[in-house]
Amino acid sequence: MTNRLHRLLNHSLQGKISSIYILTNLFVCLVNLLLILGINRMSNEMELVYRDNLKLNELTAALDDAQNYMTDYLNAKASDSLEDYYRSSEHYLALVEELGDEVSASAFDRMKRNIRHMSFCYVEFTDQAIEAKRGRNVEKYRIRYESATRMYDYINTYIGSLNSQQFKNNSVNYSELAQAFRLFETVGIGVIAVVIFLNVSIIIKLVGAIISPLKTLAKSADEVAKGNFDIALLEVESQDEIGVVTGAFNQMVVSIRNYIERIRRSMEVERAMKEKEFRMEAHLKDAQLKYLQAQINPHFLFNTLNASAQLAMLEGADRTYRYVQNVAEFFRYNVKNSSANVTVREEIELVDNYIYILNVRFSGDIHYEKYVDDALLQIEMPSMILQPIVENSVNHGIREMAGAGRIWLSVYQRDSCACISIRDNGIGIQQDVAERILNGTYREENTDTGSNGIGMDNVIARLRLFTEREDVMSIQSTGENQGTEIIIFLPFMGQEEADVQNHDCG
Amino acid sequence: MKRSETRKNSYTGYLMMTVVLAVITMIACVLIFRFYFSHFTAETDAGRYENYYVMIAENSNDSLWQSIYEGAYEAGIDVNSYVDLLNGSFDNNYSKEDLMRIAIASQVDGIIVAADKSAGMTELIDEAAGEGIPVVTLYGDNTHSRRCTFVGIGSYDLGREYGKEVLEIVQEKQALRVEADGQGETAVSDEPDRVEVAVLVNAHAQDYGQNILCSGIQDTIEKGKKDGMDIRLTLISIDDTNAFFVEESIRDIFMEGAAPDIIVCLNELNTVCVYRAVVDYNRVGQVNILGYYDSETILKAIERNVIYATVSIDTEQMGRYCVDALTEYHTTGNTSQYFMADIKLINRENVEEHMREVAENDK
Repeated sequence: MTNRLHRLLNHSLQGKISSIYILTNLFVCLVNLLLILGINRMSNEMELVYRDNLKLNELTAALDDAQNYMTDYLNAKASDSLEDYYRSSEHYLALVEELGDEVSASAFDRMKRNIRHMSFCYVEFTDQAIEAKRGRNVEKYRIRYESATRMYDYINTYIGSLNSQQFKNNSVNYSELAQAFRLFETVGIGVIAVVIFLNVSIIIKLVGAIISPLKTLAKSADEVAKGNFDIALLEVESQDEIGVVTGAFNQMVVSIRNYIERIRRSMEVERAMKEKEFRMEAHLKDAQLKYLQAQINPHFLFNTLNASAQLAMLEGADRTYRYVQNVAEFFRYNVKNSSANVTVREEIELVDNYIYILNVRFSGDIHYEKYVDDALLQIEMPSMILQPIVENSVNHGIREMAGAGRIWLSVYQRDSCACISIRDNGIGIQQDVAERILNGTYREENTDTGSNGIGMDNVIARLRLFTEREDVMSIQSTGENQGTEIIIFLPFMGQEEADVQNHDCG
Repeated sequence: MKRSETRKNSYTGYLMMTVVLAVITMIACVLIFRFYFSHFTAETDAGRYENYYVMIAENSNDSLWQSIYEGAYEAGIDVNSYVDLLNGSFDNNYSKEDLMRIAIASQVDGIIVAADKSAGMTELIDEAAGEGIPVVTLYGDNTHSRRCTFVGIGSYDLGREYGKEVLEIVQEKQALRVEADGQGETAVSDEPDRVEVAVLVNAHAQDYGQNILCSGIQDTIEKGKKDGMDIRLTLISIDDTNAFFVEESIRDIFMEGAAPDIIVCLNELNTVCVYRAVVDYNRVGQVNILGYYDSETILKAIERNVIYATVSIDTEQMGRYCVDALTEYHTTGNTSQYFMADIKLINRENVEEHMREVAENDK
């Protein structure tokens, strides 16, 4: 039974609801059928109430027939009448036989019994009268006729009395039956009302039970529609359409959650990248701004320098020409490489120019040596990195050394990095100062020392943004007057490493 | 999973509930039908009886006859026989002769009839006997017929009882007279007052019982009469051919002026009619009534001193004798010729006691 019910629960929604309706309708139908059966039976009973009276009426009619035909025959001696008499008396006797011969406490039974016996007696008289008539025994048939007629009266009266008494009794029965019928009608209506009430409540309950997962689903869907994906997953309770939809809904919610998570992550990455780009640009802009502040219209200066160089060449002053040419190159680099990345080679050329200019300015005070691995010259790096560092070395390291100052620039490969080292033999740098420079917490007291204005913190920040790593520079000094070495680490970026290796092989 | 299980269980619960409710409703419907129809379709389990006797009474409405019938009916039930009062079966009033013919034609097992001396009755009793139906004559006999038994009361004895009461009344009257004389009232005449005693007899019924009863009264009076008693016994014939004539005849007695001093009634109806007439004509105390039968009305009248005395017949015994006689006839083919029921005189002295007894018997 329970298994069967569970199988029913796994039916389709249509099947379930249909079976509930069929069940309840069947219930109402059965109750109605019972009521109709009852009504039918009651009406049958009511029809039967006067059956006895009808039978007695029939009996009276048959008795009348027999009496009339006998009288007819005695009057006219017609053979038709005789035949009719025999037929009617036979019919009468047949009816009389049904009356029964029992002496019971019921007055009706006793009266029927008496009527029965009297009827036999009556038919005996009539038969004798007919016989006597046929035998032309006038006296006898007259006497028999009288006896028969008297008996006929008695029987008629008896039947009449029985009939009226039965009618009285039956009328009481009938009225009781009619009353019961009416009561039954009321009870029937009551029963149907109760059954309908029960049915309606059962249907409401069962359909409610079937629909309730749908309601839960609707509520969850509403939540999802409002944008709340953090809902508990619904239970799949049955294998019907609601179960299928619930399963699909759960799947959908899970998928949407995953999708949202993915989007969130990619957006975060994009946002980080955008931020990086923005910061890089900001630093560059800062560098440029400072640069522009430091120089009055570099284009004008550059053009002016070019004109000066040409003038020097025309006048045959070769050294002046070379100097002005270098200065022009220096400023041109600044104007040209304002934003894009440059190669290590270009940066080194700028350092060369710068050193040359300084040496002219300070009559060859600075001894500059460079050891460059050619394979690394094509590596990209941010512009305006090396020159500020060299400028630092000159300004802070060897300016006071008056001709003994030396600067070594080396480019070499270590592990997966290209290293650019700028070393001087100047006054050195204290360890805590070096650390503060690297942390970005060091501030120079006097910034207008004639530099181009790009500070170490700017250099370091741009290098970090470019390489996407913190460890981009090291500042080493073995002690006071032992010089300082600044090394820049440029990690290879895939293609560059390959290029370097190719170059090595080539 | 648990919630899902609970819901499945609740489904199951609802379905089970539906089925259970359906079954209960149907059972209730069926029971309601049964309850209703048991009332209408119940077979009347009427007992079957071995013998069927009919009683033809003088007057089926009379409480005397009702009482006799009840006695016979009870006695019949005891021996598995049903006694029917034939008078009550018909809408019209058939005569006793007609009822006899009906009983004979009905082939009953025994007839109890309030017979009379008429030849017609004799003939019918003989016819019944010829058909093998035993006939018991009740209350009134038909001695010349082939009836098997007579059940009645001793009319002569009853007459004697009445005679004694008459003498007592006369003595009481004389005593009153002497007392009145002693108080100095002048006697109207020296001759003793004649006491008129009237016996109301039915004109229609040629019942010798009445004559025997009258002679009983007469003999008793003659024997017990003391000197100075002048008692004249007359018979007043009451026309009982029609139900209403009795009352009229009795009223006539009073209308004609000189009502008798003592009226002896020989049936219940006459007693009641005389009693009413005496009250209506304001003759209470002047006319003494000797009644018949102990119906409630009559007993109350005795209590009130309107009726002097009445006789109580043991009707239950009479009915029982009838059935006993028929039963005996059926078993042995023979039975005793006469059965006499006890009679008892009831007057002012024992009326209360008798009423108590009747009440107890009724209980």
